[in-house]
Amino acid sequence: MSSSSTSTHHVDVTMPQMGVSVAEGTVVEWKKQVGDWVEADEIICSISTDKIDTDVESPATGRVAEIIVAVGDTVDVGVVMAKIATDARPGEAHASENGVGTGEAAAALEAPGEAGELIGDATDKSQAKRYSPVVMRMAAEHNLDLSQIEGSGRGGRVSKKDVLAFLENGGGAEEPPMHIESPYRPDEPAIKRKPKPRLQRVEEVAKPEPETDVVAGGQPLSRMRQAIGSRMVESLQTAATCTTIAEADMSRIEAARAASKLSYLPFQARATIETLLEFPQLNATLEDGRHTVYSDAVHLGIAVSLGSGGLIVPVIRDAQDLSVEGLAKRIKDIAVRARANQLTPDEVSGGTFTITNPGGYGSIMATPVINLPQVGILDTEAVVKRPVVITDELGNDSIAIRSMTYLCMSWDHRALDGAYAAQFLSALRKKLEAWPTI
Amino acid sequence: MPTMTYLQAISDAMREEMRADERVFLMGEDIGTFGGAFKVTDGFIDEFGPKRVMDTPLAESAIIGCAIGSAVEGLRPIAEMQFSDFVSCGFDQLVNVAGKTYYRMGLSVNITVRLPSGGGFSGGPYHSQNPEAWFMHAPGLKIVAPSTAEDAKGLLISAVRDPNPVLFMEHKHLYRRVKGDVPTGAYETPFTARIAREGTDLTVIAYGAMVHTALEATADLDGSVEVLDLRSLVPLDEEAILKSVRKTSKVVIVDEANQMCAAGAQVAAIIAERAFEDLDGPVVRVATPDVPIPFSPTLEQSVLPQVDDVREACRELLEY
Repeated sequence: MSSSSTSTHHVDVTMPQMGVSVAEGTVVEWKKQVGDWVEADEIICSISTDKIDTDVESPATGRVAEIIVAVGDTVDVGVVMAKIATDARPGEAHASENGVGTGEAAAALEAPGEAGELIGDATDKSQAKRYSPVVMRMAAEHNLDLSQIEGSGRGGRVSKKDVLAFLENGGGAEEPPMHIESPYRPDEPAIKRKPKPRLQRVEEVAKPEPETDVVAGGQPLSRMRQAIGSRMVESLQTAATCTTIAEADMSRIEAARAASKLSYLPFQARATIETLLEFPQLNATLEDGRHTVYSDAVHLGIAVSLGSGGLIVPVIRDAQDLSVEGLAKRIKDIAVRARANQLTPDEVSGGTFTITNPGGYGSIMATPVINLPQVGILDTEAVVKRPVVITDELGNDSIAIRSMTYLCMSWDHRALDGAYAAQFLSALRKKLEAWPTI
Repeated sequence: MPTMTYLQAISDAMREEMRADERVFLMGEDIGTFGGAFKVTDGFIDEFGPKRVMDTPLAESAIIGCAIGSAVEGLRPIAEMQFSDFVSCGFDQLVNVAGKTYYRMGLSVNITVRLPSGGGFSGGPYHSQNPEAWFMHAPGLKIVAPSTAEDAKGLLISAVRDPNPVLFMEHKHLYRRVKGDVPTGAYETPFTARIAREGTDLTVIAYGAMVHTALEATADLDGSVEVLDLRSLVPLDEEAILKSVRKTSKVVIVDEANQMCAAGAQVAAIIAERAFEDLDGPVVRVATPDVPIPFSPTLEQSVLPQVDDVREACRELLEY
C-alpha cells in the first residue's frame, strides 16, 4: 500500500448506470479491500438497486487504493465508489498478501502510519468472524453484538469467558420487563406428546414449548421485498389502474402444446406480441406525461418468481423476432439466470409490456399491478376444463368440455380507454383460439 | 477407616462378598495356592478352600464358559483373566454367550470378569493392553474401570451383585501405587461418573489410571480444571459428561487405550451430538496411537499418554 498511498494514477470505480430508470444503488459487499490486487473486469463489489442485485467489475488492473462508499450506503449513479491505483505492481508487500516481506516491501510494512493500521485491521477482520458454538448461542440469547467484545483467546478470538465478562460488566441487552401476573388461569391444555428432539441441548429438554412459533416484533423485510413493495405502491398510486378480463378457449393451443412439449406461456407470449403490434398503444411507456408508443418492436417483460425471495421481471428484447420455440428457450434461460442472480442490469429494464403467469399455481383470476412506466400487464391464469356453449358453422349450439382460461389485463387509464383494452383482449383471444395464426 | 492399596481393596471386596454369600466363588489361573499372578487372591484358598478358589487350566474360553454355566445355575462366579490381554481367548463366550443369553433366553448371567489391564511397566504388547472398547461395542456387557481404592472395592461389590455380566477393568499400574481410605464392610458404588476435582474452565474426562495422570497434569495449570472420572464405561454416564461440559465448554478426553474407537471416542461423539452449542473450542483427545505397546521403557512412554502430554493439551485448549 506504500505505492497506492503515494500513487497519482487512479481510476475511479463508479456506481454503474443500470438501465434507464435506475438513479441510485446500494453497496452490498466489497469483494476487494483496500490494498488488494484487482484485475480489470474482476468483480470488485456487489451492488443492489430496486431492480436487481449485481456485481460491479473493476474498470482497470491495479491495487485498490481507496474505498469511498461503505457497505450499506446508497449513492447516485456515477458517484465514485472506489479508486484503483493503476501504477501499483502485483506482489508488492501488502497486508492482504501472505508471505511477503523482502527488501523494499518489508521496509514499507514496517513504516509507521497508515500501513501499520491496515495490517492491524486485516488481522482483526480475519479472526473476528470465527466464533465457537457456545459464543454464538450466548450472543443470540443475550442479543449481543460480538464485534463489541474484545477477544482474549488465540488470535483475538472471543471466548466464552470474554462473553461472560462482558455480560457481567453490564454489556448486552436490557433485561426484559418482569412478567405481569394475571389472576386468570387458562384451563390446562391436554398433554401433547412430542417426540424428544434428538439434538436439543440437555438443559432445554425440560423447558416448556412456546405456545406459538411467532417471533415477537417480526422480521425486517429483505432489500428485494422493500424494493418490490415501494414499486408496487408507487404503481398503484401513480397509474389509473383498470383490469379487463376476457375468456379464451385454449383447446387448439393445448393440442399444439402437447405436440411440442412446451408450456402455455410461449404460445400466449407469441400471440400477445402479435396482438401488441396491432394495438401499439398498449406496447408503450407513460413517463413524465409522455406516452411513448412502440409500433414495431415488443420488449416483453416476463415476471419470474424467485420463491419466497420475491420476483423479478427480466425483459426479452425484440421479442417480435422470436418464434414460439425461441420464446420458450429465452423464457427458460432468463428464469434460470434470474434464480441464479445472474441477470445483467440491461436485462431487467426497457420493457414495453409485461406478462405475469401465476396460473401454474392454480389461480384462475387476478388483478395484476402495472409495471411502470409500462401501461399494460397481462396476467395469464390456469387453463381449466369447463363446460361451454359452442356454436357450429350452421348456428347449432352444443355444450362441450373445453380447456378455458381467463386473460386478465391491467392497463393504465391515463394512456388508453377500456374499449381499446377490450379490443386488444378480443384480438388476443381470436389468435389463441385460431392457432396456428400463420 | 483403614487405608488400603487399590489391590488390597479388590481383595477386600471379594473377601467381603465371599464371606457374606456362599454363591460367590473364584476361578482363574494360579489364583489358588500361588495366590494369583499379582497376589490379589493371596490366602484365599486357606480361608475358602479349593472349591471356592478354583485353579483352572490356561483356557480363558473354558473359564468364562464355566462361569456362565454356573451363573445360569444360580452361582455368582468371579473369573480372573491373568492379564486382560488374554481375554481374547474367551471373546466368543463373553460376546456371544454372556452378553446375549438374557436377550435370547431371559436367563441372568451374573458373572464378574476381572481384567488386570493397562501398561506402564514394560510389559510389552501382550501384557499391557486396554481392551475395554472391544466389549463396549458388544451389547449386553457392563464395563467398569475404577481409579481409586475406594471405588475398586465398591464397584467390584456392585459388579458381583449386578445380575448382568460385568467386566471389571483393574489397572495393574494402580495396584500398589494408589492408596486410600476404604470403608470397612460391604458397600456398593453406582455405575456412574464422579468428579475427581471440580473446576470451571476446562474438563478432562478420563478413567482408570488416566484419572491420576489428568489430576497430576492439571494441578498447577493457569486455569480451573475439572477432572471427571467416568468409573463406568457401560453404562456411560452421559448426564455427568454433559453437565460438566455445559459448565466448562472445553474438553480434553484421555484414553490409555489405542485411540481408534476407544471409550473416549464415544464420549467425544456424545459431546458433539448433545453439547455442540456449549462448546467453546474443539474437543481434544489424548490417547495411545494405534500401535502395539512396545517393550522398551522409552518407547512405551512415548506412546502412552504422559502427564506432560495431557498438560500441554489442556494448556493449548485453555488458551484457545
